[in-house]
Amino acid sequence: MLSRIAESLFWLARYIERAEGTARILDVNYHMLLEQSQHSYHLRWEPLIVMAGEEDRFRKLYGEVNAANVFEFLAFRPDNPSSILQCISKARENARTIRDRISREMWEDINGLFHLANSFVPRDEIAAGPHRFCDKIKFGAHRFHGVTDSTLPHDEGWHFLRVGWSLERAEMTARLVDVQYHNLLDGPPAANALDNHQWMAVLRSVGAYEAYHRQYHPPIEPEKVAEMLILNPQHPHSIRFSATEVQAGLRAVSGSMFGTYTNEAERIAGRLVERLSYDRISDIFQQGLHGYLSDVLRMCGSIGEDIARTYFYYAVVA
Amino acid sequence: MVRPGLFEGYDTGGFYDEMFAAPGQPRLSYAKLVQKFATLAPGHFEERRKLADLSFLIQGITFTVYSDGRGTERLFPFDLIPRIIPNSEWQHIERGLSQRVMALNLFLHDIYGAQRILQDKRIPRSLVYSCPHFRREVIGVEVARGIHTHICGIDLVRDSKTREFCVLEDNVRTPSGVSYVLENRIVMTRTFPDAFEDLEVLPVNHYPSELSRILRSLSPRGESEAQIVLLTPGIYNSAYFEHSFLAQQMGIELVEGRDLIVDGGVVYMKTIRGLTRVDVIYRRVDDEFLDSLTFRADSVLGVPGLMGAYRAGNVALANAVGNGVADDKAIYAYVPEFIRYYLGEEPVLRSIETYICAKPDDLAYVLDHLPQLVVKAVGESGGYGMLIGPASERKRIAEFGERIRANPRNYIAQPVVPLSRVPSYDEAEQCIAGRHVDLRPYCLYDGDKVTIVPGGLTRVALQKNSLVVNSSQGGGSKDTWVLRGEG
Repeated sequence: MLSRIAESLFWLARYIERAEGTARILDVNYHMLLEQSQHSYHLRWEPLIVMAGEEDRFRKLYGEVNAANVFEFLAFRPDNPSSILQCISKARENARTIRDRISREMWEDINGLFHLANSFVPRDEIAAGPHRFCDKIKFGAHRFHGVTDSTLPHDEGWHFLRVGWSLERAEMTARLVDVQYHNLLDGPPAANALDNHQWMAVLRSVGAYEAYHRQYHPPIEPEKVAEMLILNPQHPHSIRFSATEVQAGLRAVSGSMFGTYTNEAERIAGRLVERLSYDRISDIFQQGLHGYLSDVLRMCGSIGEDIARTYFYYAVVA
Repeated sequence: MVRPGLFEGYDTGGFYDEMFAAPGQPRLSYAKLVQKFATLAPGHFEERRKLADLSFLIQGITFTVYSDGRGTERLFPFDLIPRIIPNSEWQHIERGLSQRVMALNLFLHDIYGAQRILQDKRIPRSLVYSCPHFRREVIGVEVARGIHTHICGIDLVRDSKTREFCVLEDNVRTPSGVSYVLENRIVMTRTFPDAFEDLEVLPVNHYPSELSRILRSLSPRGESEAQIVLLTPGIYNSAYFEHSFLAQQMGIELVEGRDLIVDGGVVYMKTIRGLTRVDVIYRRVDDEFLDSLTFRADSVLGVPGLMGAYRAGNVALANAVGNGVADDKAIYAYVPEFIRYYLGEEPVLRSIETYICAKPDDLAYVLDHLPQLVVKAVGESGGYGMLIGPASERKRIAEFGERIRANPRNYIAQPVVPLSRVPSYDEAEQCIAGRHVDLRPYCLYDGDKVTIVPGGLTRVALQKNSLVVNSSQGGGSKDTWVLRGEG
């Protein structure tokens, strides 16, 4: 497989995942706030910008952090490189450069999603609220996963897709937990009274609300939410699950045996999976959640860089 | 909304009409189709037209217009009324094209080899050497199996006056459009399956496998090991859809210049498992961008060192480098002579009378008759650099005259050919009206024989009275049917 094609598959998957994750978080956050008083309003939109890592850009473009501005910024702005529209557009661009290598169904699906996403008029959607738009994006991303799974041979190309979206998902969940935890527990006392409600929203934004209730008894406790999202071995949005997928995908490409590694990306993925498999939530809180999640994000970053070094880039031959 | 009787009141307008011999009188080849269309329920035509457009959009068979800063995607308009060619007429075309392709190939082999034709003074040496696409860099290069013109797209038009097909121009560099032939057929069979009933339409879908067979035969390491790739300039090229389509259909790797590397005179592609040797490159990148060490130094589309590997015979290129000398519009005037010289035959298909501005007498005539002539720049394609005298204002004609005087070698002129017409849907006026068409068949040459998929791309000038069929100038296309019989 050409290096460029592997790279495009990897990024195609990451962008789709990023668009979906952003859509989920926007939608859930908005609906949660509908049921709340206005005093914590500002507080609740801020974390979304922080999670996207786009605070500076946001401040340059807008005066106020409010629902309309954040929605516009995260969903539609062409000058925000991680807006949903930009992600979908870049996903499609990547798909287009490899349309001869992905299935016709995949191409038509992502192309259709691109045209659909661009058919929304931002002004109307901002007035209507994020649900209608975000729901279409979520559904579109899910369908793309399904179409991919059932039409693309599960060969090494498929594993690059798998690594791409799992790595992106691990990072998104890590940022979600980090930002929300910090925000909820360090906020003013008035906000703490709303915790229960807010933690429900966090769970919903990764589709883990029902699963949480099957596993734990009420009331919702922040530590348990963190445990669910970081360490759960089965939930597809937990960091552990996603990291395991990354490791499995990398192994499938290289053919490394269990317990061995053939490149730096695999070594770090192995270490990450090991930590997530044997650390207890109490250990994590003891050493500090923020520090732990920062480590996770750093390791995810290194995995991405080393995948590129191993498979995508060529040193110039003299 | 189109009226129930689709062709009611249709006017052939004094041109040769491919469908109607006279108003209300369809030709034999079209008789069954006209009947089918006549029984269509009101609104059906409209409905199916929209279905076809949607199908092209979802498949992303679009080209991008960047003028608005957003990169708007446009469909290459598809006209639902097919163009039909009866079998006897097609056989004549096929004979003429085969003969022409062979002659063009022999000319290229000669001009980059022994140059017999120059010694025998059948074409002026100065005309060849002044051609901008003549590549001295490949003189003496032995191409695989002696094939230069693996893929040719030869543009034919039917002259309303003489009613016969003639050759308008040859495209032997990197002709595009064949993907539309295949996609148009697929969309047509889906949206109008009933139109195919009772008419035996010859299939076109064997083009990719035929091309693949030829490419494989060029491999310097033998066919079993052949690694074949299609080299594209990338997604911003207007023909990118076609590049990816053909690569997928042939099951070969679609590569960009940055995917390839030359080491020790051998071409490799960069894969996740290291370097893999490449044997044959179906290149859709123009000569001047192929290799920044040999041609344009600023090109990032090609592969530095590629020409070295080509000269050493370590990699085959299709089409061969330097073919532009054969489809130069001034050289075009000599193709009938090539046919006589190399094959000892008379041309089957007529060429259009051509005035070569490099010749003083022709130049004088052209400058005196500009308002009646079509003037073309010799090295351009895509409908650019063209003057259609009768349709142009005096100011533009005068300007063009200046350009010709400044660089006569760069121009040729031809009389205006009244192109035949086919009924087509006019979106602006929401009616069916006669529109001018041409025909570009795609010819594949394997060194022994020429294979042509029946029909080719019919391009249609959708704007009223326009003679320019290029997609960049508001043209569209039609599915083209060659019948097993006459009707």
